[in-house]
Amino acid sequence: MITPNIEALSLGELRYIARKQGVEDAEVMDREDLLESLQELYEELESGLSGEGISYSPSTQQRFMNSLVEHLDKQSMGMLPGVEQLPESYTETRIHLLLKNPYWAHAYWSVCPQDLLKLEQACDSFEFFLRVTMHGTSDQKQVEESYDIEIGKGDGCWNINLPERGRVYSVSLHYRDMKEGTGQLCQSDTVTTPKSWYLDHVEQLGGDERNFNLFFSALVTKGGVMVENPLLNEIVERLDQSMGG
Amino acid sequence: MARNSIGLVLNAHMPYIRHPEYSRFLEEDWLFEAIGETYLPLLRMLKKLRDDGVKFKITISLSPTLCTMLSDPILQGRFTDYLRLHQELGEKEVARCASEDTDCLELAKMYLDAITKNLEEYFETYQCNILSGFRDLEDSGHVELITTTATHAYLPLFSEYPSAIGAQIELAVQSHINHFKKRPKGFWLPECGYFPGLEEYLQREEIEFFQLSAQALVLAEEPPVRGNYAPVSCPNGVFGFARDFHLTNLVWSNVEGYPTDSSYREFYRDIGYDLPMEYIRPYIHEPEVRVFTGFKYHAITGKGNDKRHYVPAEAKVKVSEHADNFLYTAKRKGEDLSVQLDRQPFHTLAFDAELFGHWWFEGIDWLETVLRRASESGDVVFETQLDYLQRYPEAQVLQPSLSSWGEGGYSDVWTDGANVWIYRHLHKAIERMEELAIRFPDQNSLKKRFLNQAAREVLLAMASDWPFIIHNGTSAAYAEKRLRNHLGNFNVVYENMCKNAVNTEWLVKAEKQNIVFPDIDYNMFNLNSVRNRYNG
Repeated sequence: MITPNIEALSLGELRYIARKQGVEDAEVMDREDLLESLQELYEELESGLSGEGISYSPSTQQRFMNSLVEHLDKQSMGMLPGVEQLPESYTETRIHLLLKNPYWAHAYWSVCPQDLLKLEQACDSFEFFLRVTMHGTSDQKQVEESYDIEIGKGDGCWNINLPERGRVYSVSLHYRDMKEGTGQLCQSDTVTTPKSWYLDHVEQLGGDERNFNLFFSALVTKGGVMVENPLLNEIVERLDQSMGG
Repeated sequence: MARNSIGLVLNAHMPYIRHPEYSRFLEEDWLFEAIGETYLPLLRMLKKLRDDGVKFKITISLSPTLCTMLSDPILQGRFTDYLRLHQELGEKEVARCASEDTDCLELAKMYLDAITKNLEEYFETYQCNILSGFRDLEDSGHVELITTTATHAYLPLFSEYPSAIGAQIELAVQSHINHFKKRPKGFWLPECGYFPGLEEYLQREEIEFFQLSAQALVLAEEPPVRGNYAPVSCPNGVFGFARDFHLTNLVWSNVEGYPTDSSYREFYRDIGYDLPMEYIRPYIHEPEVRVFTGFKYHAITGKGNDKRHYVPAEAKVKVSEHADNFLYTAKRKGEDLSVQLDRQPFHTLAFDAELFGHWWFEGIDWLETVLRRASESGDVVFETQLDYLQRYPEAQVLQPSLSSWGEGGYSDVWTDGANVWIYRHLHKAIERMEELAIRFPDQNSLKKRFLNQAAREVLLAMASDWPFIIHNGTSAAYAEKRLRNHLGNFNVVYENMCKNAVNTEWLVKAEKQNIVFPDIDYNMFNLNSVRNRYNG
């Protein structure tokens, strides 16, 4: 861990950094106390970083913005022309599904005030839920399946676990009233989770040296760490199992 | 003897940051640091190799926002001011080190020389526009220049919006033609972000190849017969080249990469943070905001804060060793692969250009040594993707898999808990932009300018830089403000146009603020428009 030379920092800077690091009473501490607190904090962090169990990513890439400008006081950023306020949601009843990775998607939705009013007038009491649908395909003999997720009325987004690869998913927003009547308010477009040929053919890796080399030699560092990817991890796990651990 | 082809792609990109309303603006320094520490030294090194008759060819992607900023007279003037200020600091440092920090004197002189050289070249060789340097290297056949999306948008999260993806790619190609008078043949997918079908948009713009993340082929629905060591042809005939993570990681890893060697210069230790405020105040930002100055006197040494001084001669030895190690590894890999492949392997190495010189101070020297020694030995050849395709026009037809080079290999970085909220607004802005383009097609004069500004604001809001910075946690306030302001600006146009009105005063101000893409045509958001039907 690289830290600034705190001895050279002004009192204001020390207080700012201390505040950001969660040091209590940073505003009233004098310079000596601030230096001592930060030094202790950095030593703790340093020992934590060098300890076991710390995950690191060999593929973590430095990008240009990884600089120390976070020390910039937010107040000075406030000098920019007025920051725009954006609405919490839009006046439409709609749900979107974004694929984060083969295992998770993010749904966000909004319900327009008129639809909400209609519901309130029609039902004594109601609640919302999401229905995640795994669509069926005739060619691959996959049947449609779905499951529900209870959500609060104030929720506007949810991360959704996707149980199977190579499947088409959509999510719909529903209401349920006290008499167990349900109705659909909106449905998202579909997303398809990627699947890999090798996921179902790990024996082609385990039993064929050429395939194994071609597959892994461009994915593994000189230290033996594989590029970060959950689908690759699953392939490796299956390969491991197929080869008897 | 097995010959290895290496296709090196450098992605030079900076988000569009231009604030003439302030005398100095902190985030503009990102561009100035990149010009001074990466782009100018890179051009210098590549020209030197060319003059020495070294055979090499590499690919460089210059993003449209970067090209716009490099050509902007205001930013050119500000970069000059930046260099002069740092030259003054260099002179002051040489004097200070001579009297009180003699161990650092030679380093201070080294930095001052580099700044002086940059100033001379910036004025005399490039007349303040370094794009001419890249054009020159392309004309001499040493560099293939390609482009990337208009604002470096990460495309998989916009796959539902063909108009926005089409606009990002069409405008990028248009911008490249404006700057280099040539249509690009290759395309850098920001963050290596790919989703099946993206190649259709690229084909419309006559793009022949693009780069992919390391896992994009091996995780496809069919096995790639040559692994990552040859391009694949997407079903529509556009070629995809997957990165060689193994070779890339020799360089680009903060754990085991060459740049982590203890002899190399430490990036984070800088006099901007180390020297007393009263001394450094004129060279940092108001009010007393410490920033990097580029004067860094310490070697990486170890993980802690206790650093020894940087010794360039020691680093030079390491550069030589690491260049040899890289070429040896590539050669050995080629020998191993030669029995497994029916052709010479092609290794795609893709990096952010700013790794070299800026993050890894010795990176440009390393690259020079690698290119020079590769040319001498002939075991490893640096050639472009197009050269390789000319030698091996046949490729396996394969649909690559959804992928990116971000942590986890997909879209997690750009959809984490801190930044995922932005898509609700971005998607809505795109939908509204489509609505405006359909409701008000082919407008003239003020309305056209108003709608063009709306299209600019949507595209600027789509930049992957904003969610990345928010994810990263540094400068997050600035990124969020930029996003909100672009979306807010778009909403001004939307609300006015819904009332069939144009806010002229606002428009003039907005055009002045964000003058990127002068040739933009908002009709590109109307998928039914005549221009899009012709293009499609």
